[in-house]
Amino acid sequence: MGEINKVGIISCSGEEIPAGTVSRMATRRVLELLRPQSTVTLCLPLFLAGEEMERRFAREHPTITVDGCDKLCAKRGTETYSGQVAASLVVTDILGDKAAGCHRSLRDVSKIDEEAVWIVAKKISEQVDVLLASIPHSEQIKEAGDASCACSCGTPAPEITIQINGKTVAVNGLHLIFEHLHKQGLEPTNDYADRVLDTVRIYHFIEPAEENFYRDALAAAYRKYCQH
Amino acid sequence: MVIPCSGIGKVQGLISREAVYRVVDALTPDRAETVCLALLVTGDPETIKKVRPSPCITIDGCPKLCAYKNVEMSGGKVFHAVHVFETLKRHRGKPFGSPTALSEDGWAAVNEIAADVAESVRQMTIEHR
Repeated sequence: MGEINKVGIISCSGEEIPAGTVSRMATRRVLELLRPQSTVTLCLPLFLAGEEMERRFAREHPTITVDGCDKLCAKRGTETYSGQVAASLVVTDILGDKAAGCHRSLRDVSKIDEEAVWIVAKKISEQVDVLLASIPHSEQIKEAGDASCACSCGTPAPEITIQINGKTVAVNGLHLIFEHLHKQGLEPTNDYADRVLDTVRIYHFIEPAEENFYRDALAAAYRKYCQH
Repeated sequence: MVIPCSGIGKVQGLISREAVYRVVDALTPDRAETVCLALLVTGDPETIKKVRPSPCITIDGCPKLCAYKNVEMSGGKVFHAVHVFETLKRHRGKPFGSPTALSEDGWAAVNEIAADVAESVRQMTIEHR
């Protein structure tokens, strides 16, 4: 099975505005952390500068475009040079007033930018799930660690495994979730386990019967992460 | 006009983007600005109007040269084409970071490229006076 049923995500480049940086970072977060097995991307300017292989992108993948502003360059560029997009998201629509506090350079990145990236990344992931649900189950990609970028350079975040009731369970991008919580100031002292569990639950399915095992294992893993 | 490729798949794309911000926000803020490359790709008339009469510097992460090609295709004139991959070759083996975060070596590469570009901007603005 090739990559034909992976969902494509195309971000605008958006150099002029902070929302362009949010779009780019949120797209990477989905590729690396939230939906690494089922997504793929391509640089938008490659549609013009590239060749037929690049131009086939949206014809081969159900594609979500993520634009920084209402000029919709990613959507318009994709539809002009490649194919119809399956969904179009706009960062400023998703964030509303929150977009105003963001920065375009990573030198200036703050908690506001981090939050914005998470909000947009979650929205993209939800849209990925909607599109995947419309693909016949047998055709979906299942192999682990198969995340990729169409320009052959995207690498999924390494998995961290935890022990759940005697089983080894991989949680994609757990270190990035921990990094996010740590940056938000969550200390592994009191009442942190539920917050870790609730955050992980957004990205990783947890059986209700296994919730306590997850809480303990994740709390221990987060404590260890914070010690390093 | 200083325009990066902003490639999303490699660290080189992030270095190109951050080098542009260093130039237009810090080193030569009164003499240089940037535009969204995607606006050029889609043929936005306002952006093309800005780019065509301005001397342009493109900063490309990889040999596909998306920024250079798109500026030329939109009728802009590239006076200086910077190749991030060539700069990184001079520091082979160093960990520059990822498409979403730069290491210390990555930021050093940004500063090196930005200094080179800012010097070009100064020369070009003197010549165009």
